[in-house]
Amino acid sequence: MEIDKEKCVGCGNCHPVCTMGVIYLDADGKSVVNQEECVECSTCYRVLRNEGSLPSFLRAIRKVLAAFRLGYVAEVDVCPTGALTPPKLQWPRSLRAMFSDPSTVHPGTGVLGRGTDEIKSNDVTGRLREGEAGFVVELGRPGIGARFRDIEKVAMALARLQPHFERENPVTQLMEDVGTGKVRKDVLDEKVLSAIIELKTTLDRIPEFLRALEKIQAEVDTVISVGVASRCLADGTAPHEEWVTKAGCKLSSNGKTNLGLGRPLFKEP
Amino acid sequence: MTNTLHRQGAPGTLKNDFVIFAHTAKGINREGSASKLREFMRICLRHKPVNIGDGKQGNIYQDDIDIEELIRNQGDASGATAVFTDLDTLQKVIEDLIRADLGLSINVSGLLEEVKTCCRRAGIQRHSAEHSLGFWGAKDRLPERHILEINTMCGHGMVSFNFIRKLIELVKLRRLTPGKAARIMAKCCECGAFNPARAQVLMEKVRQGG
Repeated sequence: MEIDKEKCVGCGNCHPVCTMGVIYLDADGKSVVNQEECVECSTCYRVLRNEGSLPSFLRAIRKVLAAFRLGYVAEVDVCPTGALTPPKLQWPRSLRAMFSDPSTVHPGTGVLGRGTDEIKSNDVTGRLREGEAGFVVELGRPGIGARFRDIEKVAMALARLQPHFERENPVTQLMEDVGTGKVRKDVLDEKVLSAIIELKTTLDRIPEFLRALEKIQAEVDTVISVGVASRCLADGTAPHEEWVTKAGCKLSSNGKTNLGLGRPLFKEP
Repeated sequence: MTNTLHRQGAPGTLKNDFVIFAHTAKGINREGSASKLREFMRICLRHKPVNIGDGKQGNIYQDDIDIEELIRNQGDASGATAVFTDLDTLQKVIEDLIRADLGLSINVSGLLEEVKTCCRRAGIQRHSAEHSLGFWGAKDRLPERHILEINTMCGHGMVSFNFIRKLIELVKLRRLTPGKAARIMAKCCECGAFNPARAQVLMEKVRQGG
């Protein structure tokens, strides 16, 4: 994101809205975005309504108020002068928006944002079949962000266990080699709000993958949200529960359920 | 996206937080899904969700969004989302969706045992399930629990930690009501998965130092 200095009146409304906390006031009293850390999520631009006020008028008011030790307080969800300006992004920076802005469709997957399907369409795709476990390993969330350098470290650690990386996944599509998990060099320094490594393996190998994650987590400077899924048995039991518990990990009380109402229903051969 | 998988909170607060979403798969049932997604949204709307929307057009808390127009403009898409605050209503929505037989994949995010029971009562068996195994890695970078509870209601991470802090402060100063603050937060969430009713309760609790 960019901020038009001609328009900005330094109200600071965009600072807390920034998902990465990387907007600050410059020495000239106008807001500026730390471009190195911005993930191009465009939240500031979408949330802060442009009031269309005249910058010179607002600056004059602010000066007068300041003389009386009074402050100018804009509503929290406005940019009084519409100073936020989404830039036209070039590769590889455009990758930031693809992974961070949920209103951006990823060209490789046709899904909005960092989109993955996980179990959401499993009833019609059969992506996870009986005996299989799906992992979603999301780096950067909640609220911290991640560089592809860190994402690669985790992908490489998991690749050693020879999983099946989901093809229709934006991170897989950035791998030079799915056998090693190595990510293409030109994107390694890019930062995104979060990115999801998505893979599947067999249920009995869940503990192995969790051990690999346990080991690699100390080597990344961001948070990792981990999810595990499986196709339920005929009685509605989720078979991955047993294996996660065996691995000594705690399962959340909440999660996601696919009700199986999609059509045509996938039938296992 | 694991947008709704990692919602944080004690079971006591999660029992008021159920996200139901329709999802389509490219090449299988996405093409021609527009009318079905519209019907999904209409069914949800009949049961008075606290939030509803889709990732492309936004949700009902955003400026200039009219739900009727949003439904009318719904094209073939990856999905739509609605949020409910109790299991009984969720049960009725699921029953209506079964009757409507839209052929869309329907998912629910919420307390897994409760949703499983809900499915059984509706005469179906859940197809697939997914658990969160929590946060790993540099957990020392994460904020306080109440900030996380609110932030994770928008899994895309559009409600920033700092914005939540600021809104809490404004609520404490009585410059915003908890309800207004919750609606502003909901505006940040693009797809409509944020639960402003739960956020309002959390804001009220935090205001009083709870």
